[in-house]
Amino acid sequence: MSFLFASLLALGLGSTPAHAAPTAGDMTQMLQVIDDRQRNSGDYKSLVYIEQKEKDKSDLVYQAVVYRRDASDKLVILFTAPKEEAGTGYLRVDKNLFFYDPSVGNWERRTERERIGGTSSQRADFDESRLAAEYVPTYVGQETLGKYAVHHLKLAAVTEADVAYPVVGLWVDVASGNILKRQDFALSGRLMRTTYYPQWLKQYSPSKGGDVYFPREIRIFDEVEKANSTVIAIQQVDLAVLDDSIFTKAWLEAKSR
Amino acid sequence: MRLLLPIALRNLIQARRRNGILGSAIALVTLMLVLLMGMSRGIHDNLVTAATNLSAGPVNVAGFYKITPGSVAPVLTGATRIREIVEANVQGLDYVLERHRGFGKLVSEVGSVQTGLSGILPAEEGRFFATLQLAPESEYRDGGSDEVKGDPRQLEEPDTVVLFVSQAKRLEVGVGDRVTMQTETLSGRSNTRDLRVVAVARDLGLLSSFVIYTNKQVVLDLYQLDADSTGALWVYLKDIEQAPVEMNRLMEVFAREGYTVMPHEGKPFWMKLETVGGEDWTGQRLDLTIWEDEVSFLTWVIVAFDGLTWALTVVMVAIIAVGIMNAMWQSVRERTREVGTMRALGMQRNQVRTLFQLEAGLLGLFSTLVGALLGTAIAVGVDLAHVSITNTAVQAILLADTLHISVSPAAFASAVAALTLFTSAAALWPALRAAGLTPVKALQASE
Repeated sequence: MSFLFASLLALGLGSTPAHAAPTAGDMTQMLQVIDDRQRNSGDYKSLVYIEQKEKDKSDLVYQAVVYRRDASDKLVILFTAPKEEAGTGYLRVDKNLFFYDPSVGNWERRTERERIGGTSSQRADFDESRLAAEYVPTYVGQETLGKYAVHHLKLAAVTEADVAYPVVGLWVDVASGNILKRQDFALSGRLMRTTYYPQWLKQYSPSKGGDVYFPREIRIFDEVEKANSTVIAIQQVDLAVLDDSIFTKAWLEAKSR
Repeated sequence: MRLLLPIALRNLIQARRRNGILGSAIALVTLMLVLLMGMSRGIHDNLVTAATNLSAGPVNVAGFYKITPGSVAPVLTGATRIREIVEANVQGLDYVLERHRGFGKLVSEVGSVQTGLSGILPAEEGRFFATLQLAPESEYRDGGSDEVKGDPRQLEEPDTVVLFVSQAKRLEVGVGDRVTMQTETLSGRSNTRDLRVVAVARDLGLLSSFVIYTNKQVVLDLYQLDADSTGALWVYLKDIEQAPVEMNRLMEVFAREGYTVMPHEGKPFWMKLETVGGEDWTGQRLDLTIWEDEVSFLTWVIVAFDGLTWALTVVMVAIIAVGIMNAMWQSVRERTREVGTMRALGMQRNQVRTLFQLEAGLLGLFSTLVGALLGTAIAVGVDLAHVSITNTAVQAILLADTLHISVSPAAFASAVAALTLFTSAAALWPALRAAGLTPVKALQASE
């Protein structure tokens, strides 16, 4: 199925002339393709580096391991470096996001919009993509982003979606169907952050029977505090089956010792 | 006693050099004690002023609203009905204020601060405007003038904000500049509001670094709240001492009215957010507190200062006690023949003991009175001079940016009485030795 969407995106929408705006159905399909490409029917594990730059502060670099089980919407983020952050982690189960602080041995419930590790990155940046379910798209136009021809979409969050930004601007590469740029807007209409996805990689997933796409790097720029930015580098993606015990509080606590 | 008093006074005057030195030391200790007690009371006054203007009313009817178990907001819905219940049931009610609560990041072109957000209805806030002292521009802006700019009453206008000096300095903004408040709505959506700074107020210690003031409507818009919602009702009483009683009464009343009332916990509301966020319920629960609960994290300042005051006082009083005893021993030795003569003339042992203790007591009374009067004068002078405190750590401890020393009549009287009694008691042992002398031995020893 994912191949079909990918083909539609690359061949159908990708070849849409600039003057012919895609229909609502086309755009929803476009979002579904984006979601489906990143979703793995099996498990997902990756090593991520999060570099945070803030005005008047030293740059911070965190290392973490992300575990995902998209079929049941489970997510674990375990920080492994620097030393003082090692052992802290997040666990998402049944739409509940919990934060574990090993220094006090405490679990705290956090919102789905949690800023991960206090950086500009959010849970959604590490989780599976749910654009089609969470937003309703409208077409802004076909534009050029650098040397790339892109579809510029405006997404409005559906009422029940638990998302941080009610309005999103999305620039989708016409040729590849990958997101190249995203802008998040507040309810007031103010631009909050701009995110760039300069490179996408894909890896074959036996459980999915197709490729899983993931950005090699995500660059997030804070548009309110202009000097702040975050870079997320995603490495060592592993799509092998993960142990069930990983998605439990006990596992994260044990790893934190 | 009529006989002993002139003798005691004469003896004090005769040994005026020794008693002068000792009296000065007692006066100095009294002065220090009065000033320290005055500072402690000053901090307490600052705490009450700051707390009941910035953080809480004497009684607070607040609560938490949760759309999902994990999302918690310090919001009360159905504020009109809750207010009616408060007004109908509180005894000794003065007035009720609404304060909308929120949190967020305040951002300027050059910086940001995480801060609490207090939404007010300017028309209701006479006391707040009377308490707020505006700072001259030079206090928060490099090269600024000594002119006090802005007017907090402009909070009546839409999208306006009042900051404190520490916030304005950090954000490098002044009156007329714009800042952006960034927060999340009740449903978790990111939202912002651009606000114009209409006044910059003097810091009020730690509490003022946690809050900014804006119009109620700004909070409603930022959080996408219904007009009949609020953050807390601050219930002002004619007698603040009745706050615990009235809080308990209201808790019972609200429970009877069908509201879910959280058990009383003596913590500020923001310290409960984490606990409440972890609880598995949705909807609204009321949380009632008194003003001391909302600033409980600051009462350590007063406890620590009082502890320091008493520790210093004990050390100083111990030194004075040694001085008094030494002086009295010397006096007994020098006046042994006089004691013998008085005993031979018929003075009783207890009269001799009383005479020596009376001397010490009179010395104590005069000295402590002088010390306490001087201490009070210094306290009044310092208070009137509005001595400014520039060190932010000291500001945080004293909860103000000017030194406030308040000597109460009770503190004055207790310092004088306690130290006078102590000096008199310190003379007990030498006085007993003098009283124990037989006339013959006393007269022989002196020859």
